[in-house]
Amino acid sequence: MQITLNGRPVAADPEGHATLLDLLRDELALTGTKRVCDRGSCGACTVLLDGVSVYSCLTLAQGCDGHDVRTIEGLGSAAEPHPLQQAFALEDAAQCGFCTPGQLMAAAALLAANDDPSDDEIVAAMSGNLCRCGTYPKILRAVRRAAAMLRETGA
Amino acid sequence: MSKPARFVTTTVEVEGRTEQRVVEMPAFDLEPWGADAALTHVGARALRVDAALKATGRPGYTTDIRRPHQAYAAIVRSRIARGKVTRINVEAARAIPGVLDILLVDDVPARTRLFNAEITYHGQPLAAVCAENQAIADRAARLITVEFEKGRHAVTVAQATAANAQPVRPGLSNNLLFKEPRTTERGDVIAGFAAADVTITREVRTPCALHSALEPHAAVAEWDGDRLTVWESTQGIFRVRDNLAKALDVPLTNVRVICEAMGGGFGAKNYAAAHTYIAALFARRLERPVACYVDRAGEQVDTGNRPSSVQRIRIGAMKDGTLTAIEMVGEIQLGIGGWEGGPGEIYHELYACPNVRTHETFAFVNTAAMAAFRAPGHAEGAVGLEAAMNALAKELGLDPLELRRRNTATHDQKKSRPYTGNRLAECYDVGAERFGWRDWHRIRRRSKDAHTAPDPRVVPGKPHLRRGVGVAAQIWSTGGGPPSYATVRINTDGSADVLAGSQDLGTGTRTILAQVAAEALGHRLDQVRAIIGDTGATPYAGNSWGSMTVASLTPAVRMAAVDARRALVEAASGLLGAPSDQLEVFEGRVAVRGSERGMSFGEITAKLGNVMIQGHGSRGPNPQDAGIVTTGAQFAEVEVDTATGVVRVVRIVAVHDAGRIVNPTLAESQLEGGIIQGLGFALFEERVLDTRMGLPLNVGLHDYKIPTMADIPSIDGHFLDGADTKANHVGARGIAEPAIVPTAPAIAGAVADALGVDVLELPMTPWRVLAALAR
Ligand code: FES
Ligand code: FES
Repeated sequence: MQITLNGRPVAADPEGHATLLDLLRDELALTGTKRVCDRGSCGACTVLLDGVSVYSCLTLAQGCDGHDVRTIEGLGSAAEPHPLQQAFALEDAAQCGFCTPGQLMAAAALLAANDDPSDDEIVAAMSGNLCRCGTYPKILRAVRRAAAMLRETGA
Repeated sequence: MSKPARFVTTTVEVEGRTEQRVVEMPAFDLEPWGADAALTHVGARALRVDAALKATGRPGYTTDIRRPHQAYAAIVRSRIARGKVTRINVEAARAIPGVLDILLVDDVPARTRLFNAEITYHGQPLAAVCAENQAIADRAARLITVEFEKGRHAVTVAQATAANAQPVRPGLSNNLLFKEPRTTERGDVIAGFAAADVTITREVRTPCALHSALEPHAAVAEWDGDRLTVWESTQGIFRVRDNLAKALDVPLTNVRVICEAMGGGFGAKNYAAAHTYIAALFARRLERPVACYVDRAGEQVDTGNRPSSVQRIRIGAMKDGTLTAIEMVGEIQLGIGGWEGGPGEIYHELYACPNVRTHETFAFVNTAAMAAFRAPGHAEGAVGLEAAMNALAKELGLDPLELRRRNTATHDQKKSRPYTGNRLAECYDVGAERFGWRDWHRIRRRSKDAHTAPDPRVVPGKPHLRRGVGVAAQIWSTGGGPPSYATVRINTDGSADVLAGSQDLGTGTRTILAQVAAEALGHRLDQVRAIIGDTGATPYAGNSWGSMTVASLTPAVRMAAVDARRALVEAASGLLGAPSDQLEVFEGRVAVRGSERGMSFGEITAKLGNVMIQGHGSRGPNPQDAGIVTTGAQFAEVEVDTATGVVRVVRIVAVHDAGRIVNPTLAESQLEGGIIQGLGFALFEERVLDTRMGLPLNVGLHDYKIPTMADIPSIDGHFLDGADTKANHVGARGIAEPAIVPTAPAIAGAVADALGVDVLELPMTPWRVLAALAR
């Protein structure tokens, strides 16, 4: 099978029971995506599948054949961060940072569909992503700020 | 004049426990940074130094370590609560391709205490398997079958203390910690109650709560000959090193523990544990790196918890609210191991009262051992104490805030000594102002007396909704203390490293240490980097627990930086041809006072070549004649749906006095985090046990509910300005644990205010709220 991973074609041969998360972390050593519950309870493994946020621990790898997958490693870079990454840093929206990749990908899916979300819309889009450090108030602010940055640049 | 002793014995308080320690006296004293000291970096809202790394998913957590040829381990756990292993069948597991090794009790050193044949709780590790990858290891672990003789378990205090109870583990003569209940008393409570005008009694229950850090406990071990390197998600790299060296019988110098980044601890990651030893033992046998991660079920079941409590409280007071006696009889369900971090302590500390008695039964039971969980004991105790205070206020017709104010503790009553600083009264005032506490109560009184204003508890047009407000206070020892060391070195390009044996749990330690070093060095913050989390590279620092890190470590860092700056200035003196006392240092430059002449740090060190400019700092003892505490008050407003029983927290105002705040942004993040964990404790979090089978039922994040973004109220977290110069020369105290203590009691107070009845058991789930309403 072949997927487009962070913009590049990647060939893989996952076993039938392997999840997209297994493929990313264990086969491809892309460790930015986190494994926490491995059963759809926490959102730490969130990635974009054809631009839509999914729990990669609940997504079978083989089902991604021919699809576009984006992970935290492909959201932006240290040199060219995504506005969400800038906003998360500026708003102190990561304490331990373990939930952060999942939070960022969930927010990225939201903002790609809606660059002017209300707080209720942000909460609805993000409440499947747990944060045990309780960074939620700062995450909310960071998503608002990133949305404003995106609207300004028209990106 | 004789030289003062270099090593002295002093008292240190950790998580409510007092320890005697030998400390090294610092080589020189520093003038404290007072509240109005002109500081550049300390007190600034500097960005978290690893914020960009975290926002790109690359901080280097233990579970992200990938060593060449790394193998993976899985743990086989007991599925019963009590019994004896008679046989473990491993043949099927061993036959799977990719399985490398299996560890049973006979394969492990006794001092690791791994795989005891005596089963004493559900989830106890019984064996481990190692394989080429995690999937194979997990499959093999499932194929290992354990045969056992079932014993009779006791998972509740009642079961463990029944007349015919068996010991929950071998070697116990009864199932109580210290063999008997612990009673602590000052004054005379009998006389205190006799003198009271009113006496209130309450029985309050708090649940067993689980830390639930998102990053699991994890270790990666690698041997190079007889030297061991372990990457571990830990709150104490040096303690893990010591545990490993002892259990494996290797010299300390052969063990290096690294924790570059960690995904939360909250008290559960203070020691090496089964996964650590399993990784190290497999790695030695297989001569290749081995990772052992605790899976989520294991994480929720066997890595520590906040023990549940029952608190029977009696408080007596005069008509004006002056407390005359406080008594609490408690039962604490410890688990198979544990210590006396019980709810009793805060009853002796928070309010002024001459007569206080607590009587606590700490019972060992056949569930996983408890572990310190953010403000162990105080978070539970505050729930009971504050519920009783609210009931007393109601009985006396007093504003609950006024009742607290009248009973403010002016000194450390347990040890009859003053506090270095305690501005709780100011926290009440500032918090009440920010919350609008008085307005709420004024409107409330008016609506009651004259029906001239709407009752603020009523939501217009929504008769099933009720609003209420509550307040609760907090006290917690946050002095930190020795030993803690730091080294500051200036590199040949003028950049500086601060080395300390601490670790950053997500609290911001890395950032704080760099800020303090930059300040004391007179350097630019972006030129200073904290190197932490590596026992092979840093001097000793203690665990990140007990809200101790900032107060313990920043004085040592400051001293090390001053020491390095002195050396640099001496070197610059020759180069600039001016005496040291005419040189001043600011933002990376040494200049001759009142002239244009000066050199940057880089220019000076370039001239020095490989001469090391290096400073050493150590943490001196705390003052012995004063208590060091962080205090604060939190105010909550809730909305309760009386039809469904759902409680929604509308807003929280928190005001705390923690001395100097080194970085207000990071402090606020941590305060918000503590409040949100407190909200979870108040409303959702509870490990549910099947007491008949002795099994925990909700071992995943689906059934064990922690707050989500949808549960978050508006939070106004605030710290009083100031510096505690009596506590230490940086003026800072701790904040991590104080943040959680008053949240649940403030929410419970608000729910009681809204409903007119108390919900006496946490979490205040819909069914408990409805049951309270039906009473
Ligand atoms: S790891 Fe996928 S939702 Fe938790
Ligand atoms: S920042 Fe630690 S879990 Fe979210």
